[in-house]
Amino acid sequence: MGIIDMNGLEVRLGGRTVLNGLTGELKGQAVGLLGPNGAGKSTLINTLLGFHPPSKGSASVFGLDAHRDRARIREGVGYMPENDSFIGNMNGVRFVRYMAELAGLPAGEALERAHEALFYVGLGEARYRKINTYSLGMKQLVKLAQALAHGPKLLILDEPTNGLDPMARQRMIQTIQEIRKEGSIRLLISSHLLRDIDETCDEVLILKDGRIAALSNIEEERRSNRNFMELETVGAIEQFSVKVRGLGCECAIYPGGRIKLVMPEQIVARDLYRVAADEGVQIRRMHLRRDSLEDIFLRAMENGPATDGGQLTNVDL
Amino acid sequence: MSIYKHSYRAYMGTLTPHWSRIVVLARYALAEAWSSKITIALFTFSMLPAIVYLVGIYLANNPLASALILRGNKTGLSIDAAYFLKMLEGQSWLALAITAWIAPRLITFDLADNALPILLSHPISRFGYVFGKFLALIASLSLVTWIPCLLLFAYQAYSSPQPWTWDHLSIAGGLLTGSLIWIALLSILGLALSSWVKWRVVATGIIFAAVFVPAGVGGIVSAVMRTKWGLLLNLPVMMTEIWQRLLGAPSVMRPRQDLPNQAMATMLVLACLVSVAMLNARVRAREVVRG
Repeated sequence: MGIIDMNGLEVRLGGRTVLNGLTGELKGQAVGLLGPNGAGKSTLINTLLGFHPPSKGSASVFGLDAHRDRARIREGVGYMPENDSFIGNMNGVRFVRYMAELAGLPAGEALERAHEALFYVGLGEARYRKINTYSLGMKQLVKLAQALAHGPKLLILDEPTNGLDPMARQRMIQTIQEIRKEGSIRLLISSHLLRDIDETCDEVLILKDGRIAALSNIEEERRSNRNFMELETVGAIEQFSVKVRGLGCECAIYPGGRIKLVMPEQIVARDLYRVAADEGVQIRRMHLRRDSLEDIFLRAMENGPATDGGQLTNVDL
Repeated sequence: MSIYKHSYRAYMGTLTPHWSRIVVLARYALAEAWSSKITIALFTFSMLPAIVYLVGIYLANNPLASALILRGNKTGLSIDAAYFLKMLEGQSWLALAITAWIAPRLITFDLADNALPILLSHPISRFGYVFGKFLALIASLSLVTWIPCLLLFAYQAYSSPQPWTWDHLSIAGGLLTGSLIWIALLSILGLALSSWVKWRVVATGIIFAAVFVPAGVGGIVSAVMRTKWGLLLNLPVMMTEIWQRLLGAPSVMRPRQDLPNQAMATMLVLACLVSVAMLNARVRAREVVRG
């Protein structure tokens, strides 16, 4: 059983079907939630938190029904919303402590863990400042701290790097990677930024028009892909290409000494250098290109949602 | 997760029971309400009439002090239902002022900073959220309404040389019931009106307006239509009537202007239902876009 299960999940809001028959199982350590605007990412998160009742089907988190058992689910979930959401006239410690107490921690424990969470996310020195004096990046971090303070089993991050400068973004990504590495928390990360998902997640759920466009294990997809290599060479490239083909590579030669290769899994760059040295060919430039998450995302968008009502489909890469 | 290590550790301890989360909300709301110096000033000011009434009871029950200060003139100092009605009226209108100051502090901070998605993502329902704030407001208003009133009743019971308590026990019941009706109405109304306004000062004004503007409209309706039913919109008059009946004090209304109990109860229930509907529309983790 996955951490999140969806069984024909349909959610209608304001007379419009926002999520349309989602079926699937999310079991990765860190699951990325991708999709264009209006695809239903935030609605899915809100449904998992019990804010929206499903109009059809069901969703479960930790095996608990997302609507019926929402109080128990929320006890084990830390949620960092996309937009500003805090109590501005409270200082950092008080706010995080308040949220931890609401999550069920006794007052003393909540205070202790509020301090710890704020230090952990890097707000230790600013924890006694009122939140409305924080910068945008600090506000993002205090939201993360409150989501972590009660020790959740599932951390839901909605656009965690929204509005952050490159340094703050990097710090946020590092923190998320550390949390993932620690291993006791599962992550569900919604983001518009493919790079964020690429750097933090091992599984990706792509939504389009309220349906599942793809559900992929990023690492497995990458491993199953072939490696594309572009070379710029000087020397006897015909002989070099024959030798390279002998290694099992597919090879195409272009004018100006340019060669494009598709390498099998067992061949690495060192093998190419060795062949080049044997043939007296200089490799002036080498560019290795693997399928990126962007490719996965674009293919999913081109393929569109599954026609069988949102049934889970692995993208053919 | 320890401070010096800066690493994460899961929480393995016990969790508090679900019902206690409402107490957490109420506790933080009380702390927020009482963190303001204006709240303290209003509370202190609201104790002044109680002290005056305390002195009145002391004088009424102490012949020597009465002879020295009042020089034997005891007019208006009989300690009865009318005496406690006056006190309850005074304290109740001070409670309105305190509500107008406190209620916006309890809700508008959360709304202004969009805290509801985070608050409600914890194991607390929308009802629990409102009920926690409601409890905080009820507790604050109790300090200026039924608690001082009943303390003075107890003091009168203690000071009176004649057997007084048993004959006047209905006054204590009336004080408690009347106060609870009023502060419950004020609390729900204050929270509902505050939930629709992001600026505290505006919310304070709206709370006063919600009590006095309909009273003016009701007065106009009564005058133009030559009917007593316009008084149902006049909360001050209606509440005075309710308190007077609960305490058993003489009526201050003209005979033809007496409002039936059922009509007054219906109006109070309607006001509460409208407030609940307003809260239901505003206290949400997410806006639902229609269409």
